[in-house]
Amino acid sequence: MKLVIDDVSKQYRGGHRALSNFSLTIKPGVLGLLGPNGAGKTTLMGILATITKANQGRVLWNGTEIAKNPDPLRSVLGYLPQDFGVYPNLNAVEFLEYLAAVKGLDKATAARRIPELLELVNLTDVRKRALGGYSGGMKQRVGIAQALLNDPQLLIVDEPTAGLDPEERVRFRNLLSDLSGERIVVLSTHIVSDIEATATDIALIANGTLVAHATPEALLLQVEGKVWEWVVSSADLNEIRQHHQISSTNRRSDGVHVRVLGDEPPQGAHPVTPNLEDAYLFCLSRHRDGAAA
Amino acid sequence: MSRSRVLFHMVRADFLERVRRYSFVLTLGFSVYLGYAMYSGQINMQLGSYHGVANSAWLGSVVGLVSAVFLSLIGFYVVKNTIQRDRETRVGQILAATPMSRSFYTLSKVLSNLAVLSAMIMILSAAAIVIQLTHKGTGRINLFDLLSPILIFSLGALSVTAAFAVLFETIPGLRGGVGNIAYFFLWCFLLNLSVKPLLTGKSLSDLTSMRDYTGITTISGQMQAQLRQLDPEYKGGSGFYIGSSKRGTKTFVWTGVKWNPTIVLSRIFWLGVAVCLTLIAAGIFDRFDPAREILSLKRRKKQTVLPKPEELERLPLQTRETQLHASDLTPLAHSRSHVRFVALVLSELRLLLRGQQWWWYTVAAGLFAGCLFAPLDSARSGVILVAWLWPALLWSQLGTREARFSTQAIIFSAPHAFPRQLLSSWTAGVVLALLTGGGLGLRLMLARDTEGLFGWAVAAFFIPALAMALGVCTESRKPFEAVYTVWWYIGPLHQMRKLDFIGTKPASSTPVLYLAASIALLLVACFWRKARLSYA
Repeated sequence: MKLVIDDVSKQYRGGHRALSNFSLTIKPGVLGLLGPNGAGKTTLMGILATITKANQGRVLWNGTEIAKNPDPLRSVLGYLPQDFGVYPNLNAVEFLEYLAAVKGLDKATAARRIPELLELVNLTDVRKRALGGYSGGMKQRVGIAQALLNDPQLLIVDEPTAGLDPEERVRFRNLLSDLSGERIVVLSTHIVSDIEATATDIALIANGTLVAHATPEALLLQVEGKVWEWVVSSADLNEIRQHHQISSTNRRSDGVHVRVLGDEPPQGAHPVTPNLEDAYLFCLSRHRDGAAA
Repeated sequence: MSRSRVLFHMVRADFLERVRRYSFVLTLGFSVYLGYAMYSGQINMQLGSYHGVANSAWLGSVVGLVSAVFLSLIGFYVVKNTIQRDRETRVGQILAATPMSRSFYTLSKVLSNLAVLSAMIMILSAAAIVIQLTHKGTGRINLFDLLSPILIFSLGALSVTAAFAVLFETIPGLRGGVGNIAYFFLWCFLLNLSVKPLLTGKSLSDLTSMRDYTGITTISGQMQAQLRQLDPEYKGGSGFYIGSSKRGTKTFVWTGVKWNPTIVLSRIFWLGVAVCLTLIAAGIFDRFDPAREILSLKRRKKQTVLPKPEELERLPLQTRETQLHASDLTPLAHSRSHVRFVALVLSELRLLLRGQQWWWYTVAAGLFAGCLFAPLDSARSGVILVAWLWPALLWSQLGTREARFSTQAIIFSAPHAFPRQLLSSWTAGVVLALLTGGGLGLRLMLARDTEGLFGWAVAAFFIPALAMALGVCTESRKPFEAVYTVWWYIGPLHQMRKLDFIGTKPASSTPVLYLAASIALLLVACFWRKARLSYA
């Protein structure tokens, strides 16, 4: 099972270039696609989900080019788009029955699978109620259920935790981890903690290009010895911002604890163990410096 | 910032948002076509056997009337979406949080509607100038004669149209398809009020001038008076002719509208009507209050028990220890995807019918029974018309639902979703036609009227095909609701040959034509959707 993205570029009408010569090979596990807003993540998701076509390059699913023959991929694809709707007059069971028919699941399979999925996302108690009355988080769960209808080998989820409260977010992360194994899960988000909890591989994307592709451990290794913590006064914070790259700030009783990225420690700062957010910011800033140069 | 400046910016932003949409290009394209139709004589005005020499006065009067009569109908469907857009884009909620008053908001929307309609009038005015400049025109261009009827008559009528569009959008029951169909009948009523003195041959009194919504009675009345002086044998009568290249054999030089205080007062009266409609709309407007939205939603869907919001929020993704986990799900064998066309059709039919209340089914059943038990002639030329107007708002969903509810990404990422889903959706529309008009089908079958039965079946194919084509191409329910209502009124109701798609009388029935049209419309829908879906 392999998904190969080979030199893919996408330019929209009007000239906006969302992806530039993007190449990546994805194998079973959870790939966290991480990048700032407007980096090209949703465009890439759309291409992988056969919703939109690349202008250049190709995407191969187990050796089959999806632009020429999308159906082998579509039959094993589960897709949760960033923005999706539901039919407000249908209930969750009817909506999933409809999508099961669209996806070509036979009646017996659909009848077995739908109650299981509703149980999985804990919508069994409200399964007979019209979707129009569901909250945003519940609609998102219906979206998760429909993505899993056909037991997908490739599961693409675009900003899946948007609209979920912190508790639900944690549970969804567990669900994703549970789902991975002998399938490919592509998780696109700009929330680093979502990736930290689930991803076995990380692809950093910025300005439509691949900045880094590595395991979380390898990314963390890159920033090892480059993260420092410094306690400063609130009054000095603005001055520090102008001269250092700050990863995070925490106000405490003894002052502001500032995490700073850099090759050399600022005077008075001590080294700390890097986290994925530090690594993400480090890679992005290196990419920006490279682009500027 | 002064109030007028705020109003200017509100109208400007709304207008710019509209004119930068693809649909506006189509709107302008329609105006260009209307202009061309006048140029080529497909739309012409005649007074008995007379038509006017193409001078500025004649062209200005004809364009003014064409704008007032036709754009007051079509323009409504063009502009009736401005508040809906604010609702859908959620800009409305931002506006609702500002000090803006409701009357200020509705006024800005009416003015923005009028600006869009004025753009259409400008194209028609340009067409009039082109006609006069080319060989079809006569004499020098007189801008006052050319533009005064256009500005005074059409803008008066269209300001009422603009206000009606906003009013309909503020009334929950008229916001959707019911409003689209109701407006057509309202427009017929207003037009009838406007032309009645012409039809009855009564002379123009102050009162009849006042109720002349479009100005047609005023202009035609003056033209007729001038013709009577020129030709004592002229018997009266005037009208628009659409699609006919026949023109009056005699010509006369129309000297232009004789403006008088009554005409000015009547225009002021209709502007006053527009202002009143705007104020009524302001009174009804919910100011994007979701609480009022929920109330109307609940009223509409009494049969579905909605959970209380607080009850829903308390349901987390997974709660119990015994909760199912992803690894517990039954694995599927990925051999091949099955073609479940019948299941899809049934699902699509359920989608079409879901949300209808008991009284909808009661009326549909009554119409079915009416077709079955009424005398065959009455069933064929009367009851079936209503039976096939009744589900119009359901057919108008075809081809639009995926865009309206943002389900395209989910549906069209499924294998073979195109054209399977489109065809199953159309088939569901056909099933709906067969069910609602089934009484007549049974009667024709029992009467062994194979020709009638063929015509009936073709109509059941044609109506959903028209809905599907318009729905897929425009992603909006409105075009079908407008086109179908007007077509139903002109064709089947008035038994006009070639336009009578139901075949209410054997003489007006042309089923082979409509079978071909059904296939063509389905092909258009398929090609359009295929073009939209890059992977289809």
